[in-house]
Amino acid sequence: MNLLRIELRKVLPYRTFWFILGIYALLMVLILYASSHITVNGTDLGTTAFTLPELWQRLTYVASYFNLLLGVLIIILVSDEYSFRTIRQQVIDGLSRQDVVMAKFFVVLTLAITSTVFLLVIGLYFGLVHGTNHSLSAIFSQSDFLLYYLVQAVAYMSLALLVSFFLRKSGLSIIAFIAYAKIIEPIIHFNVPDTLDKYMPMKVFNSLTPMPGQEILDQLTMPTELLSPAWAVLPSLLYIGLLLLLSFYTLKLRDI
Amino acid sequence: MATVLDIDNLSKSYGSLQALDRLTLNVEKGSIYGLLGPNGSGKTTTLGIVLNVLKPDRGSFRWFGSPVSRATKHRIGALLETPNFYPYLTAKRNLQIAADIKGVGHSNINKVLDLVGLGTRSNTSFKGFSLGMKQRLALASAMLSDPEVLVLDEPTNGLDPQGIAEVRDLILRIAAQDKTIILASHLLDEVEKVCTHVAVLQQGKLRANGEVSNILSANEEVIISTPDTVPALELLARLPYIISFRQDKQNIVLTLQDNYSSLDVNRDMFAQGIVLSQLFVRRKSLEAQFLEIIKE
Repeated sequence: MNLLRIELRKVLPYRTFWFILGIYALLMVLILYASSHITVNGTDLGTTAFTLPELWQRLTYVASYFNLLLGVLIIILVSDEYSFRTIRQQVIDGLSRQDVVMAKFFVVLTLAITSTVFLLVIGLYFGLVHGTNHSLSAIFSQSDFLLYYLVQAVAYMSLALLVSFFLRKSGLSIIAFIAYAKIIEPIIHFNVPDTLDKYMPMKVFNSLTPMPGQEILDQLTMPTELLSPAWAVLPSLLYIGLLLLLSFYTLKLRDI
Repeated sequence: MATVLDIDNLSKSYGSLQALDRLTLNVEKGSIYGLLGPNGSGKTTTLGIVLNVLKPDRGSFRWFGSPVSRATKHRIGALLETPNFYPYLTAKRNLQIAADIKGVGHSNINKVLDLVGLGTRSNTSFKGFSLGMKQRLALASAMLSDPEVLVLDEPTNGLDPQGIAEVRDLILRIAAQDKTIILASHLLDEVEKVCTHVAVLQQGKLRANGEVSNILSANEEVIISTPDTVPALELLARLPYIISFRQDKQNIVLTLQDNYSSLDVNRDMFAQGIVLSQLFVRRKSLEAQFLEIIKE
Protein backbone atom coordinates (compact mmCIF):
# COMPACT_ATOMS: atom_id res chain seq x y z
CA MET A 1 0.00 0.00 0.00
CA ASN A 2 3.04 2.19 0.33
CA LEU A 3 3.27 2.12 -3.46
CA LEU A 4 -0.30 3.37 -3.80
CA ARG A 5 0.39 6.16 -1.31
CA ILE A 6 3.36 7.27 -3.39
CA GLU A 7 1.26 7.20 -6.56
CA LEU A 8 -1.46 9.28 -4.91
CA ARG A 9 1.15 11.87 -3.93
CA LYS A 10 1.98 12.15 -7.62
CA VAL A 11 -1.51 12.28 -9.11
CA LEU A 12 -3.72 14.05 -6.58
CA PRO A 13 -2.08 17.48 -7.14
CA TYR A 14 -1.92 16.87 -10.92
CA ARG A 15 -4.35 19.03 -12.85
CA THR A 16 -4.37 16.80 -15.97
CA PHE A 17 -5.52 13.88 -13.82
CA TRP A 18 -8.56 15.74 -12.54
CA PHE A 19 -9.26 17.23 -15.96
CA ILE A 20 -9.58 13.80 -17.62
CA LEU A 21 -11.64 12.37 -14.74
CA GLY A 22 -13.86 15.47 -14.97
CA ILE A 23 -14.44 14.88 -18.68
CA TYR A 24 -15.30 11.25 -17.96
CA ALA A 25 -17.86 12.17 -15.29
CA LEU A 26 -19.33 15.03 -17.27
CA LEU A 27 -19.78 13.01 -20.46
CA MET A 28 -21.43 10.11 -18.58
CA VAL A 29 -23.92 12.40 -16.88
CA LEU A 30 -24.60 14.33 -20.07
CA ILE A 31 -25.33 11.18 -22.07
CA LEU A 32 -27.67 9.85 -19.40
CA TYR A 33 -29.37 13.19 -19.08
CA ALA A 34 -29.78 13.52 -22.85
CA SER A 35 -31.19 10.02 -23.23
CA SER A 36 -33.93 10.83 -20.77
CA HIS A 37 -35.17 13.55 -23.10
CA ILE A 38 -35.47 11.45 -26.21
CA THR A 39 -39.07 11.03 -27.25
CA VAL A 40 -40.01 7.89 -29.18
CA ASN A 41 -43.56 7.53 -30.57
CA GLY A 42 -44.84 10.26 -28.28
CA THR A 43 -43.59 8.74 -25.07
CA ASP A 44 -40.68 10.14 -23.16
CA LEU A 45 -37.94 7.52 -23.24
CA GLY A 46 -36.70 8.76 -19.90
CA THR A 47 -38.90 6.57 -17.79
CA THR A 48 -38.13 3.39 -19.76
CA ALA A 49 -34.45 4.16 -20.27
CA PHE A 50 -33.93 4.45 -16.56
CA THR A 51 -35.94 1.47 -15.47
CA LEU A 52 -34.07 -0.67 -12.99
CA PRO A 53 -32.71 -3.31 -13.22
CA GLU A 54 -32.17 -3.00 -17.01
CA LEU A 55 -30.49 0.33 -16.41
CA TRP A 56 -27.34 -1.40 -15.12
CA GLN A 57 -26.66 -3.04 -18.44
CA ARG A 58 -27.34 0.18 -20.38
CA LEU A 59 -25.18 2.17 -18.03
CA THR A 60 -22.19 -0.19 -18.16
CA TYR A 61 -22.52 -0.52 -21.94
CA VAL A 62 -22.33 3.26 -22.35
CA ALA A 63 -19.50 3.49 -19.81
CA SER A 64 -17.51 0.83 -21.66
CA TYR A 65 -16.80 3.37 -24.41
CA PHE A 66 -15.27 5.72 -21.90
CA ASN A 67 -12.79 3.09 -20.78
CA LEU A 68 -10.74 4.44 -23.66
CA LEU A 69 -10.58 7.73 -21.77
CA LEU A 70 -9.38 5.96 -18.62
CA GLY A 71 -6.79 4.18 -20.75
CA VAL A 72 -5.60 7.51 -22.12
CA LEU A 73 -5.26 8.81 -18.56
CA ILE A 74 -3.09 5.82 -17.63
CA ILE A 75 -0.96 6.34 -20.73
CA ILE A 76 -0.40 9.97 -19.75
CA LEU A 77 0.57 9.02 -16.19
CA VAL A 78 3.07 6.39 -17.39
CA SER A 79 4.60 8.41 -20.22
CA ASP A 80 4.97 11.37 -17.83
CA GLU A 81 7.27 9.21 -15.73
CA TYR A 82 9.45 8.77 -18.80
CA SER A 83 9.40 12.39 -19.95
CA PHE A 84 10.09 13.70 -16.43
CA ARG A 85 12.63 10.84 -16.04
CA THR A 86 11.15 10.26 -12.60
CA ILE A 87 10.90 6.52 -13.32
CA ARG A 88 14.70 6.52 -13.59
CA GLN A 89 15.16 8.35 -10.31
CA GLN A 90 12.69 6.09 -8.53
CA VAL A 91 14.44 2.93 -9.69
CA ILE A 92 17.73 4.48 -8.54
CA ASP A 93 16.18 5.41 -5.19
CA GLY A 94 14.84 1.96 -4.41
CA LEU A 95 11.97 0.69 -6.59
CA SER A 96 12.35 -2.55 -8.51
CA ARG A 97 10.89 -2.99 -12.01
CA GLN A 98 8.15 -5.05 -10.43
CA ASP A 99 7.37 -2.22 -7.98
CA VAL A 100 7.06 0.21 -10.90
CA VAL A 101 4.46 -1.98 -12.65
CA MET A 102 2.58 -2.80 -9.44
CA ALA A 103 2.43 0.87 -8.41
CA LYS A 104 0.76 1.77 -11.69
CA PHE A 105 -1.52 -1.27 -11.45
CA PHE A 106 -2.69 -0.01 -8.05
CA VAL A 107 -3.60 3.25 -9.78
CA VAL A 108 -5.51 1.20 -12.37
CA LEU A 109 -7.42 -0.62 -9.62
CA THR A 110 -8.16 2.63 -7.81
CA LEU A 111 -9.48 4.28 -10.97
CA ALA A 112 -11.57 1.23 -11.89
CA ILE A 113 -13.12 1.06 -8.42
CA THR A 114 -13.75 4.81 -8.40
CA SER A 115 -15.48 4.78 -11.78
CA THR A 116 -17.55 1.73 -10.79
CA VAL A 117 -18.70 3.48 -7.61
CA PHE A 118 -19.45 6.54 -9.73
CA LEU A 119 -21.64 4.40 -12.02
CA LEU A 120 -23.39 2.93 -8.99
CA VAL A 121 -24.16 6.42 -7.69
CA ILE A 122 -25.47 7.89 -10.94
CA GLY A 123 -27.29 4.63 -11.69
CA LEU A 124 -29.08 4.84 -8.36
CA TYR A 125 -29.81 8.52 -8.88
CA PHE A 126 -31.29 8.21 -12.37
CA GLY A 127 -32.99 4.90 -11.56
CA LEU A 128 -34.68 6.14 -8.44
CA VAL A 129 -35.50 9.66 -9.60
CA HIS A 130 -36.54 8.93 -13.18
CA GLY A 131 -37.21 5.20 -13.18
CA THR A 132 -40.46 3.56 -12.19
CA ASN A 133 -39.42 0.42 -10.38
CA HIS A 134 -38.02 1.18 -6.93
CA SER A 135 -38.10 -2.25 -5.30
CA LEU A 136 -34.91 -3.56 -3.72
CA SER A 137 -34.88 -6.58 -6.00
CA ALA A 138 -35.10 -4.31 -9.03
CA ILE A 139 -32.22 -2.23 -7.81
CA PHE A 140 -29.85 -5.07 -7.13
CA SER A 141 -30.94 -7.97 -9.32
CA GLN A 142 -28.72 -7.05 -12.27
CA SER A 143 -26.13 -5.05 -10.43
CA ASP A 144 -23.57 -7.76 -11.27
CA PHE A 145 -23.04 -5.74 -14.47
CA LEU A 146 -21.16 -3.28 -12.29
CA LEU A 147 -18.69 -6.02 -11.37
CA TYR A 148 -18.28 -6.95 -15.04
CA TYR A 149 -17.64 -3.30 -15.78
CA LEU A 150 -15.00 -3.19 -13.03
CA VAL A 151 -13.14 -6.08 -14.64
CA GLN A 152 -13.46 -4.44 -18.05
CA ALA A 153 -12.09 -1.11 -16.83
CA VAL A 154 -9.10 -2.86 -15.24
CA ALA A 155 -8.53 -4.79 -18.48
CA TYR A 156 -8.62 -1.70 -20.73
CA MET A 157 -6.25 0.18 -18.43
CA SER A 158 -3.91 -2.82 -18.20
CA LEU A 159 -3.63 -2.78 -21.98
CA ALA A 160 -2.90 0.96 -21.77
CA LEU A 161 -0.18 0.18 -19.20
CA LEU A 162 1.57 -2.27 -21.51
CA VAL A 163 1.35 0.06 -24.52
CA SER A 164 2.76 3.02 -22.59
CA PHE A 165 5.57 1.04 -20.92
CA PHE A 166 6.45 -0.27 -24.37
CA LEU A 167 6.27 2.96 -26.37
CA ARG A 168 7.02 5.51 -23.60
CA LYS A 169 5.77 8.49 -25.61
CA SER A 170 2.24 9.65 -24.82
CA GLY A 171 1.09 10.62 -28.33
CA LEU A 172 2.34 7.45 -29.93
CA SER A 173 0.91 5.29 -27.14
CA ILE A 174 -2.53 6.89 -27.29
CA ILE A 175 -2.72 6.34 -31.05
CA ALA A 176 -1.51 2.74 -30.76
CA PHE A 177 -3.91 2.00 -27.88
CA ILE A 178 -7.01 3.33 -29.64
CA ALA A 179 -5.97 1.90 -33.00
CA TYR A 180 -5.56 -1.57 -31.50
CA ALA A 181 -8.79 -1.49 -29.53
CA LYS A 182 -11.00 0.02 -32.22
CA ILE A 183 -9.39 -0.76 -35.58
CA ILE A 184 -6.72 -3.45 -35.61
CA GLU A 185 -8.43 -6.11 -33.53
CA PRO A 186 -11.87 -5.55 -35.14
CA ILE A 187 -10.21 -6.05 -38.56
CA ILE A 188 -8.71 -9.30 -37.33
CA HIS A 189 -12.19 -10.33 -36.14
CA PHE A 190 -13.46 -10.09 -39.71
CA ASN A 191 -10.89 -12.60 -40.88
CA VAL A 192 -11.13 -15.07 -38.04
CA PRO A 193 -14.06 -17.40 -37.37
CA ASP A 194 -16.31 -16.39 -34.45
CA THR A 195 -15.48 -19.53 -32.52
CA LEU A 196 -11.92 -18.28 -32.28
CA ASP A 197 -12.17 -14.51 -32.19
CA LYS A 198 -14.54 -14.57 -29.24
CA TYR A 199 -11.44 -15.33 -27.18
CA MET A 200 -9.44 -12.39 -28.52
CA PRO A 201 -8.72 -9.75 -25.86
CA MET A 202 -10.83 -6.80 -27.00
CA LYS A 203 -13.76 -9.08 -27.82
CA VAL A 204 -13.51 -10.76 -24.43
CA PHE A 205 -13.36 -7.38 -22.67
CA ASN A 206 -16.31 -6.07 -24.66
CA SER A 207 -18.31 -9.24 -23.90
CA LEU A 208 -18.36 -8.08 -20.28
CA THR A 209 -20.76 -5.26 -21.13
CA PRO A 210 -22.93 -6.54 -24.01
CA MET A 211 -25.08 -4.14 -25.95
CA PRO A 212 -28.65 -3.98 -24.63
CA GLY A 213 -31.00 -5.51 -27.19
CA GLN A 214 -28.26 -7.57 -28.82
CA GLU A 215 -30.67 -10.50 -28.93
CA ILE A 216 -33.12 -8.56 -31.11
CA LEU A 217 -30.31 -7.46 -33.40
CA ASP A 218 -29.12 -11.04 -33.71
CA GLN A 219 -32.51 -12.13 -34.99
CA LEU A 220 -32.32 -9.61 -37.80
CA THR A 221 -28.73 -10.24 -38.86
CA MET A 222 -26.22 -13.02 -38.59
CA PRO A 223 -25.81 -13.64 -34.85
CA THR A 224 -22.34 -12.87 -33.60
CA GLU A 225 -20.94 -15.36 -31.19
CA LEU A 226 -19.97 -13.76 -27.89
CA LEU A 227 -19.06 -15.07 -24.48
CA SER A 228 -21.65 -14.28 -21.84
CA PRO A 229 -20.44 -11.64 -19.37
CA ALA A 230 -20.01 -14.24 -16.63
CA TRP A 231 -17.97 -16.48 -18.93
CA ALA A 232 -15.83 -13.56 -20.06
CA VAL A 233 -14.59 -12.82 -16.53
CA LEU A 234 -12.04 -15.61 -16.29
CA PRO A 235 -10.38 -15.03 -19.70
CA SER A 236 -10.37 -11.29 -18.92
CA LEU A 237 -8.52 -11.90 -15.67
CA LEU A 238 -6.04 -14.11 -17.52
CA TYR A 239 -5.47 -11.35 -20.08
CA ILE A 240 -4.96 -8.80 -17.29
CA GLY A 241 -2.33 -11.04 -15.74
CA LEU A 242 -0.66 -11.52 -19.12
CA LEU A 243 -0.62 -7.75 -19.82
CA LEU A 244 0.99 -7.08 -16.44
CA LEU A 245 3.57 -9.80 -17.01
CA LEU A 246 4.46 -8.37 -20.43
CA SER A 247 4.72 -4.88 -18.89
CA PHE A 248 7.13 -6.24 -16.33
CA TYR A 249 9.29 -7.94 -18.96
CA THR A 250 9.24 -4.80 -21.11
CA LEU A 251 10.86 -2.96 -18.19
CA LYS A 252 13.15 -5.81 -17.24
CA LEU A 253 14.67 -6.34 -20.66
CA ARG A 254 15.41 -2.71 -21.51
CA ASP A 255 17.25 0.30 -20.15
CA ILE A 256 15.11 2.73 -18.20
CA MET B 1 39.54 -0.89 3.82
CA ALA B 2 36.14 -2.24 2.86
CA THR B 3 35.11 -2.12 -0.78
CA VAL B 4 31.98 -0.10 -1.41
CA LEU B 5 31.63 -0.69 -5.13
CA ASP B 6 33.24 -3.47 -7.09
CA ILE B 7 32.92 -3.20 -10.88
CA ASP B 8 34.04 -6.24 -12.83
CA ASN B 9 34.56 -6.22 -16.57
CA LEU B 10 31.52 -4.13 -17.49
CA SER B 11 30.73 -3.62 -21.16
CA LYS B 12 27.85 -1.93 -22.87
CA SER B 13 27.20 -0.81 -26.41
CA TYR B 14 24.46 1.27 -27.99
CA GLY B 15 24.12 -0.22 -31.45
CA SER B 16 27.56 -0.01 -33.03
CA LEU B 17 28.84 2.44 -30.41
CA GLN B 18 30.89 0.78 -27.68
CA ALA B 19 29.99 3.00 -24.74
CA LEU B 20 31.84 0.98 -22.15
CA ASP B 21 34.58 -1.53 -22.80
CA ARG B 22 35.54 -4.03 -20.08
CA LEU B 23 35.70 -1.59 -17.20
CA THR B 24 37.02 -2.92 -13.91
CA LEU B 25 37.16 -0.65 -10.87
CA ASN B 26 37.15 -0.75 -7.10
CA VAL B 27 35.88 2.02 -4.90
CA GLU B 28 37.08 1.87 -1.30
CA LYS B 29 35.07 3.09 1.64
CA GLY B 30 35.81 6.69 2.58
CA SER B 31 37.28 7.71 -0.74
CA ILE B 32 36.10 10.46 -3.05
CA TYR B 33 36.32 8.67 -6.32
CA GLY B 34 36.34 10.73 -9.50
CA LEU B 35 35.32 9.35 -12.89
CA LEU B 36 37.06 11.67 -15.28
CA GLY B 37 36.67 11.81 -19.01
CA PRO B 38 35.46 13.92 -21.89
CA ASN B 39 31.78 13.90 -22.88
CA GLY B 40 30.83 10.51 -24.28
CA SER B 41 33.63 8.65 -22.52
CA GLY B 42 31.28 6.31 -20.63
CA LYS B 43 30.98 8.02 -17.24
CA THR B 44 27.20 8.28 -17.20
CA THR B 45 26.86 4.80 -18.73
CA THR B 46 28.98 3.40 -15.89
CA LEU B 47 26.92 5.16 -13.25
CA GLY B 48 23.66 4.23 -15.01
CA ILE B 49 24.61 0.56 -14.87
CA VAL B 50 25.67 0.50 -11.23
CA LEU B 51 22.54 2.49 -10.34
CA ASN B 52 20.41 -0.27 -11.90
CA VAL B 53 18.78 1.74 -14.71
CA LEU B 54 20.97 0.61 -17.61
CA LYS B 55 21.59 -3.02 -18.45
CA PRO B 56 25.20 -4.07 -19.06
CA ASP B 57 25.90 -6.34 -22.04
CA ARG B 58 28.53 -8.16 -20.01
CA GLY B 59 30.21 -7.96 -16.65
CA SER B 60 28.90 -7.47 -13.14
CA PHE B 61 29.07 -5.15 -10.17
CA ARG B 62 28.49 -5.45 -6.45
CA TRP B 63 27.60 -2.84 -3.85
CA PHE B 64 28.92 -3.52 -0.33
CA GLY B 65 29.71 -7.04 -1.54
CA SER B 66 26.10 -7.81 -2.59
CA PRO B 67 24.15 -7.67 -5.84
CA VAL B 68 22.00 -4.56 -6.28
CA SER B 69 18.74 -4.69 -4.29
CA ARG B 70 16.34 -2.43 -2.45
CA ALA B 71 18.62 -2.70 0.57
CA THR B 72 21.75 -1.59 -1.30
CA LYS B 73 19.83 1.20 -3.05
CA HIS B 74 18.72 2.60 0.29
CA ARG B 75 22.36 3.02 1.32
CA ILE B 76 23.10 5.16 -1.74
CA GLY B 77 22.03 8.67 -2.69
CA ALA B 78 22.40 9.44 -6.37
CA LEU B 79 21.82 11.96 -9.07
CA LEU B 80 22.25 10.84 -12.66
CA GLU B 81 22.53 13.28 -15.58
CA THR B 82 19.60 15.59 -14.95
CA PRO B 83 17.53 16.51 -11.88
CA ASN B 84 14.44 14.32 -12.24
CA PHE B 85 11.30 15.65 -10.58
CA TYR B 86 7.62 16.27 -11.23
CA PRO B 87 7.48 19.81 -12.66
CA TYR B 88 4.00 20.51 -11.28
CA LEU B 89 4.88 19.55 -7.70
CA THR B 90 6.62 21.80 -5.18
CA ALA B 91 10.14 21.07 -3.99
CA LYS B 92 8.76 19.76 -0.73
CA ARG B 93 6.21 17.43 -2.32
CA ASN B 94 8.84 16.09 -4.71
CA LEU B 95 11.06 15.28 -1.75
CA GLN B 96 8.16 13.63 0.09
CA ILE B 97 7.84 11.19 -2.81
CA ALA B 98 11.60 10.58 -2.80
CA ALA B 99 11.54 10.03 0.99
CA ASP B 100 8.69 7.49 0.69
CA ILE B 101 10.61 5.56 -1.97
CA LYS B 102 13.82 5.64 0.05
CA GLY B 103 11.86 4.41 3.05
CA VAL B 104 12.77 7.34 5.31
CA GLY B 105 10.53 9.72 7.22
CA HIS B 106 9.73 13.26 6.15
CA SER B 107 11.57 14.83 9.08
CA ASN B 108 14.77 15.31 7.07
CA ILE B 109 13.15 17.27 4.24
CA ASN B 110 13.48 20.74 5.72
CA LYS B 111 17.01 20.00 6.84
CA VAL B 112 18.29 18.99 3.41
CA LEU B 113 16.46 21.88 1.75
CA ASP B 114 18.22 24.26 4.12
CA LEU B 115 21.50 22.51 3.46
CA VAL B 116 21.32 23.30 -0.27
CA GLY B 117 19.93 26.78 0.27
CA LEU B 118 16.38 26.06 -0.89
CA GLY B 119 14.75 26.34 2.54
CA THR B 120 12.76 29.42 1.55
CA ARG B 121 11.69 27.94 -1.80
CA SER B 122 10.24 24.67 -0.50
CA ASN B 123 6.76 25.60 -1.69
CA THR B 124 7.79 26.71 -5.17
CA SER B 125 6.94 24.24 -7.90
CA PHE B 126 9.88 22.54 -9.58
CA LYS B 127 9.15 24.01 -13.02
CA GLY B 128 9.70 27.48 -11.60
CA PHE B 129 13.26 26.65 -10.55
CA SER B 130 16.40 27.81 -12.35
CA LEU B 131 18.80 25.12 -13.55
CA GLY B 132 21.05 25.73 -10.55
CA MET B 133 18.14 25.38 -8.13
CA LYS B 134 17.03 22.16 -9.84
CA GLN B 135 20.54 20.78 -9.48
CA ARG B 136 20.61 21.71 -5.80
CA LEU B 137 17.21 20.08 -5.25
CA ALA B 138 18.62 16.90 -6.79
CA LEU B 139 21.51 17.08 -4.34
CA ALA B 140 19.08 17.58 -1.48
CA SER B 141 17.15 14.51 -2.63
CA ALA B 142 20.33 12.45 -2.83
CA MET B 143 21.17 13.36 0.77
CA LEU B 144 17.64 12.79 2.07
CA SER B 145 18.32 9.40 3.60
CA ASP B 146 21.75 10.38 4.96
CA PRO B 147 23.30 7.68 2.74
CA GLU B 148 26.70 6.07 3.18
CA VAL B 149 27.51 6.60 -0.48
CA LEU B 150 26.76 9.55 -2.74
CA VAL B 151 26.88 9.04 -6.50
CA LEU B 152 26.99 12.37 -8.29
CA ASP B 153 27.00 12.74 -12.05
CA GLU B 154 28.33 16.19 -13.04
CA PRO B 155 27.02 17.75 -9.82
CA THR B 156 28.19 21.27 -10.65
CA ASN B 157 26.64 21.28 -14.11
CA GLY B 158 24.68 24.45 -14.71
CA LEU B 159 25.71 26.12 -11.49
CA ASP B 160 27.22 29.60 -11.32
CA PRO B 161 30.73 30.02 -9.86
CA GLN B 162 29.37 30.60 -6.37
CA GLY B 163 27.11 27.55 -6.67
CA ILE B 164 30.04 25.46 -7.90
CA ALA B 165 32.12 26.50 -4.92
CA GLU B 166 29.23 25.71 -2.56
CA VAL B 167 28.66 22.27 -4.02
CA ARG B 168 32.36 21.41 -3.82
CA ASP B 169 32.46 22.60 -0.27
CA LEU B 170 29.38 20.51 0.48
CA ILE B 171 30.99 17.42 -1.06
CA LEU B 172 34.11 17.87 1.06
CA ARG B 173 32.03 18.37 4.19
CA ILE B 174 30.01 15.22 3.49
CA ALA B 175 33.16 13.24 2.75
CA ALA B 176 34.58 14.34 6.09
CA GLN B 177 31.76 12.39 7.77
CA ASP B 178 33.28 9.08 6.68
CA LYS B 179 31.08 8.85 3.60
CA THR B 180 32.09 7.60 0.19
CA ILE B 181 31.50 9.78 -2.84
CA ILE B 182 31.61 8.72 -6.46
CA LEU B 183 31.75 11.71 -8.74
CA ALA B 184 31.66 11.86 -12.53
CA SER B 185 33.05 14.96 -14.11
CA HIS B 186 34.64 16.21 -17.29
CA LEU B 187 36.35 18.97 -15.31
CA LEU B 188 39.88 18.04 -14.33
CA ASP B 189 40.10 20.95 -12.04
CA GLU B 190 37.03 19.71 -10.16
CA VAL B 191 38.38 16.19 -9.77
CA GLU B 192 41.75 17.51 -8.65
CA LYS B 193 40.21 19.83 -6.08
CA VAL B 194 37.70 17.37 -4.67
CA CYS B 195 38.75 13.76 -5.23
CA THR B 196 41.15 11.41 -3.50
CA HIS B 197 41.05 8.81 -6.27
CA VAL B 198 40.43 9.06 -9.98
CA ALA B 199 39.70 6.82 -12.93
CA VAL B 200 40.28 8.33 -16.35
CA LEU B 201 37.92 7.10 -19.05
CA GLN B 202 38.09 7.63 -22.77
CA GLN B 203 35.78 6.07 -25.33
CA GLY B 204 34.57 3.60 -22.76
CA LYS B 205 38.01 2.38 -21.82
CA LEU B 206 39.83 2.82 -18.54
CA ARG B 207 43.01 4.79 -19.28
CA ALA B 208 44.40 5.21 -15.79
CA ASN B 209 43.26 4.93 -12.21
CA GLY B 210 44.64 5.41 -8.75
CA GLU B 211 45.24 8.17 -6.26
CA VAL B 212 44.82 11.65 -7.63
CA SER B 213 48.30 12.66 -6.49
CA ASN B 214 49.81 9.83 -8.54
CA ILE B 215 47.73 10.19 -11.65
CA LEU B 216 47.29 13.89 -12.08
CA SER B 217 50.43 15.40 -10.64
CA ALA B 218 52.86 13.16 -12.44
CA ASN B 219 55.57 15.35 -13.84
CA GLU B 220 56.66 18.89 -13.97
CA GLU B 221 57.83 20.97 -16.86
CA VAL B 222 61.08 22.90 -17.08
CA ILE B 223 61.02 25.98 -19.20
CA ILE B 224 64.21 27.48 -20.52
CA SER B 225 65.13 30.31 -22.86
CA THR B 226 68.45 30.99 -24.46
CA PRO B 227 69.76 33.13 -27.32
CA ASP B 228 71.49 29.99 -28.68
CA THR B 229 68.31 28.15 -29.55
CA VAL B 230 69.73 25.91 -32.29
CA PRO B 231 72.61 24.33 -30.32
CA ALA B 232 70.35 24.03 -27.30
CA LEU B 233 67.84 22.00 -29.30
CA GLU B 234 70.62 19.80 -30.64
CA LEU B 235 71.88 19.15 -27.14
CA LEU B 236 68.41 18.37 -25.76
CA ALA B 237 67.95 15.70 -28.40
CA ARG B 238 71.07 13.98 -27.05
CA LEU B 239 70.40 14.25 -23.31
CA PRO B 240 69.07 10.85 -22.09
CA TYR B 241 66.90 12.13 -19.24
CA ILE B 242 64.79 14.43 -21.41
CA ILE B 243 61.50 12.71 -22.12
CA SER B 244 60.25 15.34 -24.50
CA PHE B 245 60.84 18.93 -25.49
CA ARG B 246 59.12 21.42 -27.71
CA GLN B 247 59.56 24.99 -28.71
CA ASP B 248 56.98 27.38 -27.39
CA LYS B 249 57.56 30.86 -28.85
CA GLN B 250 61.01 31.88 -27.62
CA ASN B 251 60.96 29.29 -24.82
CA ILE B 252 61.73 25.60 -24.86
CA VAL B 253 59.49 23.39 -22.72
CA LEU B 254 61.03 20.20 -21.35
CA THR B 255 59.72 17.15 -19.58
CA LEU B 256 62.30 15.35 -17.47
CA GLN B 257 62.54 11.82 -16.19
CA ASP B 258 62.00 11.27 -12.50
CA ASN B 259 65.06 11.96 -10.31
CA TYR B 260 66.31 14.66 -12.66
CA SER B 261 65.75 18.36 -12.12
CA SER B 262 66.35 21.75 -13.63
CA LEU B 263 69.77 21.61 -11.96
CA ASP B 264 70.91 18.89 -14.37
CA VAL B 265 69.64 20.81 -17.38
CA ASN B 266 71.41 23.98 -16.32
CA ARG B 267 74.72 22.16 -15.65
CA ASP B 268 74.73 20.33 -19.00
CA MET B 269 73.79 23.43 -20.95
CA PHE B 270 76.54 25.45 -19.32
CA ALA B 271 79.05 22.64 -19.90
CA GLN B 272 78.35 22.97 -23.64
CA GLY B 273 78.73 26.74 -23.50
CA ILE B 274 75.03 27.45 -23.77
CA VAL B 275 73.92 30.15 -21.37
CA LEU B 276 70.34 30.24 -20.33
CA SER B 277 68.62 33.59 -19.99
CA GLN B 278 65.69 32.01 -18.24
CA LEU B 279 65.04 28.80 -16.34
CA PHE B 280 61.97 27.93 -14.35
CA VAL B 281 59.86 24.98 -13.30
CA ARG B 282 56.11 24.80 -13.43
CA ARG B 283 53.53 22.12 -12.93
CA LYS B 284 52.04 20.83 -16.12
CA SER B 285 48.67 22.29 -16.94
CA LEU B 286 45.88 19.89 -16.13
CA GLU B 287 44.81 19.83 -19.74
CA ALA B 288 48.29 18.83 -20.81
CA GLN B 289 48.36 16.03 -18.25
CA PHE B 290 44.96 14.82 -19.28
CA LEU B 291 45.86 14.74 -22.93
CA GLU B 292 49.00 12.84 -22.03
CA ILE B 293 47.03 10.24 -20.07
CA ILE B 294 44.56 9.56 -22.83
CA LYS B 295 47.30 9.55 -25.47
CA GLU B 296 49.14 6.65 -23.85
